[in-house]
Amino acid sequence: MKMKRTIALLLAGLMGISMAACGAKGTDGQDAGGNKTGAAGGSETQNNAGDAAGNGAKDGAGDADGAGSGTEPVLLKIWGGVPPEAGPQESVDRFNEAYQDRGIQAEYVYYVNDDNGNLKLETTLMAGEGVDAYMCYDERYLSKRIEGGMALDLTDLCERDGFDIKELFGEEMVTSYEYDGVFYCIPTKRDQYGMMLNKDMFDEAGIPIPTEWTYSEFREIAKQLTHGEGEQKVYGAFLNTQQNLLTTFQYFGVASLGGDWMYNEDGTATNFTDPVMVESAQLAYDMMNVDGSAPTHVDSVTQKLSCDGMFMNERTAMVPASWTVRNVKNLESYPHDFVTAFAPYPVPDNAEAPYIMGGVGDMLCINPKSPNVDACWEYVKWYSTEGVVPLAYGGRIPLCKSIDMDEVNEYFFRDAEGLLDEESAKYVMIVPRGSYAFPTISPNAAELGDILSEEMEAVLNGKKTVEQGLADAKERGDALLAK
Amino acid sequence: MNAKKRRQRKTDLTGYLFILPNMLGMILFTLIPMLFSLLISFTDWNFVKGFGNWNYIGFENYLKMWKDEWFLSALCNTVILAFICVPVTIGLALIAAAAIDRFAFGKLPIRLAMFMPYISNVVAVTIVWVMMYSPWGPFTQMVKMMGVKDPPQWLGDYTWALPAIILMMVWSNVGYCVMIYTSAIQGLPRDVYEAAEMDGAGEICKFFRLTVPFLSPTTFFLVITLFINVFQLFAQVQIMTKGGPGTSTNVMVYYIYKSAFNYYNMGYAAAMSWILFAILLVITLIQWKGQKRWVSY
Repeated sequence: MKMKRTIALLLAGLMGISMAACGAKGTDGQDAGGNKTGAAGGSETQNNAGDAAGNGAKDGAGDADGAGSGTEPVLLKIWGGVPPEAGPQESVDRFNEAYQDRGIQAEYVYYVNDDNGNLKLETTLMAGEGVDAYMCYDERYLSKRIEGGMALDLTDLCERDGFDIKELFGEEMVTSYEYDGVFYCIPTKRDQYGMMLNKDMFDEAGIPIPTEWTYSEFREIAKQLTHGEGEQKVYGAFLNTQQNLLTTFQYFGVASLGGDWMYNEDGTATNFTDPVMVESAQLAYDMMNVDGSAPTHVDSVTQKLSCDGMFMNERTAMVPASWTVRNVKNLESYPHDFVTAFAPYPVPDNAEAPYIMGGVGDMLCINPKSPNVDACWEYVKWYSTEGVVPLAYGGRIPLCKSIDMDEVNEYFFRDAEGLLDEESAKYVMIVPRGSYAFPTISPNAAELGDILSEEMEAVLNGKKTVEQGLADAKERGDALLAK
Repeated sequence: MNAKKRRQRKTDLTGYLFILPNMLGMILFTLIPMLFSLLISFTDWNFVKGFGNWNYIGFENYLKMWKDEWFLSALCNTVILAFICVPVTIGLALIAAAAIDRFAFGKLPIRLAMFMPYISNVVAVTIVWVMMYSPWGPFTQMVKMMGVKDPPQWLGDYTWALPAIILMMVWSNVGYCVMIYTSAIQGLPRDVYEAAEMDGAGEICKFFRLTVPFLSPTTFFLVITLFINVFQLFAQVQIMTKGGPGTSTNVMVYYIYKSAFNYYNMGYAAAMSWILFAILLVITLIQWKGQKRWVSY
């Protein structure tokens, strides 16, 4: 009996020791970090740096100053989801050159912007170190991260430096990124999406590149462009349903329904049986299963089709994914010689379409737990007002109003002679076209999207009629919102 | 006396020290997370909100799942999967093992070949199966050759997606069961078989009257481990169908993952994990009780 107690004691003691050892290691690391940045700056700076590490993230000024006078620069880790070669690397290189003598250097960490990649980012953020600033690409993730305290409140920093977000980026563009009057992120990109078209196929069929079109016109053109059989078949359009079953709602119907297309006016119920929703679902169904002008949903899933492959390998004349424009310049992965043109998304036949599919994107946030908040803020200011330009090479248009659009154009069309149709690209992608469909509410957005996707899948697979599927989706969605 | 006691204590200490590293790992990475998951299953924790931002909500998570159609479909699919997959696998493995033992030349290569799927990387194997089920894959071609004009799109079909996954599960587990069975068969007493032969028993009679009862402890072990295995199905679904089409291949672990990491409802996901645990416990207990009736010696 006595022995058992001794052993239990021993075990507990050992565990305690091992945990203490782990803890000590952590503290060591932190100290080392503090010393590293402060060492060269003399004893005073060293204290500062030590304090900064001790006081927590927000008080990181000492670090930046200390590094400024020393030889060891602050190294910022910037996480982004754009492949480095599509612009970010050039941007970071520019920053490092400009800030070399100010003691700040940055490193670009590429994460894949999918569920797993975002999970990786979030767990790294929760762990506290390893991320100084990061890009968000989706409002859903952004709001979760803000609620979870993973994004720094920028109010004080903006006030201190007279950095007026609304003035610099356009009030109407950024208001929906203000949470209770507070900015936690800086949107850096203006999105304007549209269809990507194979201009050679359009020319061959004698169809002019459309600048506006309705669902029925779109359907008719897709039918005309479809030819061939079996594996040689060239489709008029590809609707990308294997990736997003909601394409015809979220990208097409949104022109009429606006940013909160899933909800009714006050957000208490869903909007799934709206005539525009019905029309949009019907369009996808008809093109896939009646006209055969788009690959069916089942084919898209079982053959693992993708916008990139379908369009670049000339198996379809149109894809609803102008964000894949960066592939056009990637001749190594996608050798091709056709010209890519652009068109706005088709709009419903029987409804007004006041909105443009687009908005702002690439929201840059600062990790509140970063030990280098001030240096980070310098980076954020620089990136959002000038550093973002090289990303135009990969098709991303800067939001900041003071940026020289000629330089943006230059980057956008660089290395694209004979590959991009300049006129339609400027019209659809670059020049602002109208008011964007901004989302303002998002209760249960992920679940609602999944419900609608499931019902839409049943519709496209012919298991339910359009009316039945959408009615079921509404019933289930409303029940979820009522909870 | 005292010296003996001290020596005993020393030996004990050595023993405990030997298990210490493993024990620590187990406590840190299994026991504590398990207790933690039990704790958060009574909260509404959204994991992006960080530690501590949770409210105690009692049994709400445990109650609301019975009204959640996604959970119910996942439960239903998992049960169907398990109750088809396990008997079929065991039956096939038993027959294969007996046949290999009786008729095959070069038992070792055959057994090794059958064991391969079990030790191969799940992701690689699954991707091969995705290709096999594709419209150009062997399954579709075979069905076409049999004269079916419009063969089903296996993984894209509401009725066929689950059977397609069951088939793959059977395939990947059969080898393991055969391996276990053949080693068990080799340990069976030959004299009993000889006696049966003398009494004029045929192959089939010997199989049912001798091999099957002799192997019942092995079968018992396999049934329990397979059930647990199949209930934990995740990777295959994530890669092949993502629970679709509709909810036809939505299984429990996949839905738990989705609730936790797509909808961020950690508390709810934890509650479902504990229900999964309870189900497995009940199934195992029933088998444990039931074994007295059919497991001989």
